[in-house]
Amino acid sequence: MSGQEQITAIEIGALTKRFGATTAVDDLSISIPGGAIFGLLGTNGAGKTTTFKCMLGLARPTAGHIGFGGRPLAPEMFQAMSYMPERPALYEWMTGAQHLEAARQTFARYDGARARELADLFGLDLRKRSRTLSKGQQSALALVMAFAIRPQILVLDEPSSGLDPVHQRHVLDLMIDAAAGGATVVFSSHQIGQVERAADHVAILHRGKLVLQGLVEDLKAEEKIVEATFGDDAPAMPALESNPSVRRVVRQGRLVRVFVRGQGDGVVAGLQALAPTSLRVLDQNLEDIFLVAVGEN
Amino acid sequence: MPAIFAVDPHTGVPIYLQLIEQVKRSVALGVLSPGERLPTVKQLATDLTVNPNTIARAYRELERDGVIETSVGRGSFIRQSGAGERAAADLSDVAGASLDAAVREAKSMGLRRASVRELFSRALERWYSADGEGKERND
Repeated sequence: MSGQEQITAIEIGALTKRFGATTAVDDLSISIPGGAIFGLLGTNGAGKTTTFKCMLGLARPTAGHIGFGGRPLAPEMFQAMSYMPERPALYEWMTGAQHLEAARQTFARYDGARARELADLFGLDLRKRSRTLSKGQQSALALVMAFAIRPQILVLDEPSSGLDPVHQRHVLDLMIDAAAGGATVVFSSHQIGQVERAADHVAILHRGKLVLQGLVEDLKAEEKIVEATFGDDAPAMPALESNPSVRRVVRQGRLVRVFVRGQGDGVVAGLQALAPTSLRVLDQNLEDIFLVAVGEN
Repeated sequence: MPAIFAVDPHTGVPIYLQLIEQVKRSVALGVLSPGERLPTVKQLATDLTVNPNTIARAYRELERDGVIETSVGRGSFIRQSGAGERAAADLSDVAGASLDAAVREAKSMGLRRASVRELFSRALERWYSADGEGKERND
């Protein structure tokens, strides 16, 4: 970002992870600046969870490297790191309070007052054994533990799954609060609206490959749709197909939709020369951009 | 909570641009006066549930555009001199872009030049007739 170069907190370099014949993550390179909230988007099986596991040493990369502040992962780093797996890792016979006690004993940075505040925020009954908690309450307990150690790095895999909309908003607020305090947050979500709000950086994975990454705000500003309608079937446009700023051309009878990178001025001029009956430029929100990137639009 | 700002993260318009426009509008209309303090980046990020770096980007651009000034430790303030004029000039560009888009849209619906001019005059009559204030603002 202009005027505020930030140091890289997490570096993923040419990461590949294969399980037998399946390539779960394919040559993925991402660099995550300190203080960023980095949203990872992708359909199921895109490689998000595997990426997280490789980052945290829970899966051994087939190739590539991971760096934290320029150094490889080391055991002492976990003191200031929180990982929330997709399915919260809880001991089902232990109560919420016992989980927090375990966190207190493990993490020097554990903040008991903060933990109680967060448990209240999520309406969590700490006397209950985790087995008896609903899915949403189990997520809430995992979140309380994740944030109560005041981590410098947070890796959250679908942190709001199972939560109601109010508690989902709390999760975003907690991430924003952590980032404003200098922490680096990486999270995955199926809810693009959450990424649109909380994340400044986004990466879109599809079948293990990185298909798009950047600042959410820049992607919105740069990705446009130019839509033209013609009096008859849309004419052939070979020049358009070979234009480097064109991502995709969708034709439907009289209508042509061109997904472009940039303001689309060249495409607008090119289409205008073909005398369309109507021509307009549409903005794209992150959901549109995502759907185009994974080829579903 | 500073209800004067509200952003919509789900449109294709970047949040920082929405915020810049709202601050300029508030300054041009006198809702925010010279010297007035803006919320801190963290405060506004929390209030709007928006990424803090996005808010910081809006503030940096507002500073570059001469609308606000930031002093380390004290916060961000509307500039004492010239902020209103600069904000008004920038807003006129925003209005120009809206009009441009509206005319392009009208053309794309197949309207002829004369019909667009007719619609435009009617809109002018509706919004600029009563008190003439709009005219002065445009001078």
